[in-house]
Amino acid sequence: MVTGSGAVVVDRLSYMYPRTEIPVLRDLSLTIESGEFFGLIGPTGAGKTTFCLTLNGIVPQFYGGRFFGSVTVLGMDTVECPTRRLSRHVGVVFQDPETQLITPSVEDEIAFALENLSVPRAEIRRRIPVALKAVRLEGTERKHPHELSGGQKQRLAIGAALAMQPDVLVLDEPTSQLDPLGQREVFTVLKQLNEELDITIIIASHAAEMLAEYADRVALLADGSLKAIGSPAEIYTRRGLLREHHLRLPQVTETFMTASDRGVPIETVPVRLDEGQQMIDGFLDSENPPPAIGFQCDDASSHNRKAISQDNSVLSAHNLHYHYPDGTAALKSVSLDIHAGEYVLLVGQNGAGKTTLVKHFTRLLLPTVGRVKIFGSESRNLNVSEVARRVGYVGQNPDHQLFRATVESEVAYALRHQGRLEDAEIKGRVTESLAQMDLTYARDLHPLSLAKGDRARVVMAAVLAMEPDVLILDEPTTGQDYRDARRILKITGQLHRFGKTIVVVTHHLYLMAEYAQRVIVMGEGTVLLDGPIRDVFHRVDVLRSTYLTPPQAVLLAQHLSKKIGHSYPILTPRELASVLASAFTNEVIS
Amino acid sequence: MTLQPVRMVAANSWFGRLDFRTKLCLMMVTGILALMWDSPILMMVLVLSLAVAAIGAGVRWRVIRTLGLTALPLTVMLIGVHGLWNVAQVRSLTDRAQLLALVSLPADWWLIGGLTFTLEGAVYGFAVSMKSLALMLIVPLVVFTTETSQMVVALVRIGVPYKIAFVFSATLRFFPLLLSEIQSITEAQRLRGLDLTSMGPLKRVSIYGQMAVPLILGALLKSQQMEISLQSRAFSGNRDRTYLHVSSLNTRDILVIVLLSLGLIGSVIGYRRLGIGSFAWILFE
Repeated sequence: MVTGSGAVVVDRLSYMYPRTEIPVLRDLSLTIESGEFFGLIGPTGAGKTTFCLTLNGIVPQFYGGRFFGSVTVLGMDTVECPTRRLSRHVGVVFQDPETQLITPSVEDEIAFALENLSVPRAEIRRRIPVALKAVRLEGTERKHPHELSGGQKQRLAIGAALAMQPDVLVLDEPTSQLDPLGQREVFTVLKQLNEELDITIIIASHAAEMLAEYADRVALLADGSLKAIGSPAEIYTRRGLLREHHLRLPQVTETFMTASDRGVPIETVPVRLDEGQQMIDGFLDSENPPPAIGFQCDDASSHNRKAISQDNSVLSAHNLHYHYPDGTAALKSVSLDIHAGEYVLLVGQNGAGKTTLVKHFTRLLLPTVGRVKIFGSESRNLNVSEVARRVGYVGQNPDHQLFRATVESEVAYALRHQGRLEDAEIKGRVTESLAQMDLTYARDLHPLSLAKGDRARVVMAAVLAMEPDVLILDEPTTGQDYRDARRILKITGQLHRFGKTIVVVTHHLYLMAEYAQRVIVMGEGTVLLDGPIRDVFHRVDVLRSTYLTPPQAVLLAQHLSKKIGHSYPILTPRELASVLASAFTNEVIS
Repeated sequence: MTLQPVRMVAANSWFGRLDFRTKLCLMMVTGILALMWDSPILMMVLVLSLAVAAIGAGVRWRVIRTLGLTALPLTVMLIGVHGLWNVAQVRSLTDRAQLLALVSLPADWWLIGGLTFTLEGAVYGFAVSMKSLALMLIVPLVVFTTETSQMVVALVRIGVPYKIAFVFSATLRFFPLLLSEIQSITEAQRLRGLDLTSMGPLKRVSIYGQMAVPLILGALLKSQQMEISLQSRAFSGNRDRTYLHVSSLNTRDILVIVLLSLGLIGSVIGYRRLGIGSFAWILFE
């Protein structure tokens, strides 16, 4: 039995959705205090979304199902108190801003819930600027939500919840589709609301670095059960527990834990970037500062470079301009070549033109001005289906790319429509593709019955069955948990080793250091930077200009470089840990 | 790249600033006139007036042109059908025993062999197609020049239940999203190497049919997410809800409504008493 008078008291909560026998929440008990910034972590399927929905009564009032135990928010039982009444006190923000922004203007969006609550017009007028100011969207009142960037849309959703003057704000993966600075914008606003207005924040997120920095406490959910709860320092230093549940440590924590494993004396492992930087300062200010040492790359970028021949261009753009029919200039004078056997990472803020560029390489779009060549042929002289046989494209949302009733027929779909392959060959290719994606078990299942990570791999299997030479993946890790994201990228790494050319579009720079060789940074339709990953990840100024931040290991390495006066083009926590360990053992690696 | 919302043009033109109820009044009057009049002359005048008004109100020429092109096959079909088959009705409307034959088709042609294509029938078909075009043109003129929130408030003011008004506005809001989904799914199919242009019509229909699966599932998922979002924001469709925007008829609105009413009354009287707007008016008198 949970006792106490927290803002949220959850007592022995178990829940099953209708027509299922498996509980998604199991005997969950916890208390969240008023004014807390509370993080919720866990792998996909852990029950985080369901838990969030219990807090305003959507579960079980909307869904039905079997509900055991109790959830009390500010003294109101969420089963007995209608959602409409609870919504005055509990604001909820969901993952996808597109489905929660339902009105035609920013001010209408803020007003919508207030109108439903019969708040007088004068009061609504008073609250709109207050809410917009709180989420830093002043001046956008008359804009259509479509005109806002991804980060702005999510901040608008927060503002709309905020206008109800809730005591508790619940956010379910609100930043998963945002670029890194958009993500930070949202967390900064939340912290400000938490501190200035004393709003209790409950946020489910995979953003380990952000939660470590902003949350007061973090709870780990897995299989519907509470596995651990405590301060970020207590949770994120439990490496074994996090790995067991396929969760990621902040890179700063990973770095110093690995360094500690290698003999560096570390009393308290940091979980925040500033703590890590202070720790480095402490090492350097000690009586025996470590000497400047070299380091050994442990990523794939060096050895993968061998196969690349500069005159073997498979995709190229020359002075490429593209204007959408509404006149938006999406690409401006883009010129680049992608060579056979390269692993290229394409990064940039939301709306930088990344997807528009790769769509030219699949011939879905044709240049407004300039030229695009695919395997040496002008894209204008090819058709999409011809290109698809050599350039495979895996889009962001797997659900748009699944048409068939079984995984097997899905993978065979394009092969059958090509009409030039024998049944035996189709079967062979399907079997091989499924095995490569670790999906043999799902052969006879409906693709949409699989988890999101598996669905993405079904699409990859279907594309690979066509045996393309180039594989383009557009945001393959968005919406995936750490395990699935790693799984997908590992496959790209294997394909690359087999000689395929890989192009990945992503915001998740921290995942890419082990795979990519070359990084193309885009901003506002132009190429801002194009170079080896070790150079580009350390050009923090350029990355920031397009709303990206390098991984924490890079930032820590830069801090170390600045302090010690020696350049460390480090990419991963392991590399940084080995530098720190070498420094303490006075070992010089070069 | 996201598709643009179904608005819309800047609602700051003279027409755009009218209350939605005034625009509904115009819509109603246009509908009545289009149904009442058979005269190709007046129908053309009505269509041209609507097109000019739409452009003046800021509706893009592209939209008008698309509507015109969409209506073109219908126009051709109506002219053909009425020109060939609608003899009895056209005779009665023109009060002529004999219609002017433009072409007589050879007797051995399948289905249409032996028929005569008449001038009056063709003109009547044209007039009918203009009726359809007038009804099509009034939609962008009224809908695209009004903020969705204004529509909702005005609909509620004329007694439409809020839930229905909301469904109407949500449809406008989500229509571009649906188009965007269709575009994504079509692209995904093409990227699997499906060359629709080289396929026969039956195979193409079957491929389009397969598109329905992700489209319907996607729409269901989105509608469920939207419903959860609505519930979370205290949506219940209650009558007591307040509104940020107001719908008020000002002097300009009242003037327009009065003029529309007088115009309608005058048109009905002119049609009944003098035959103005009847099919034979001026052309076949």
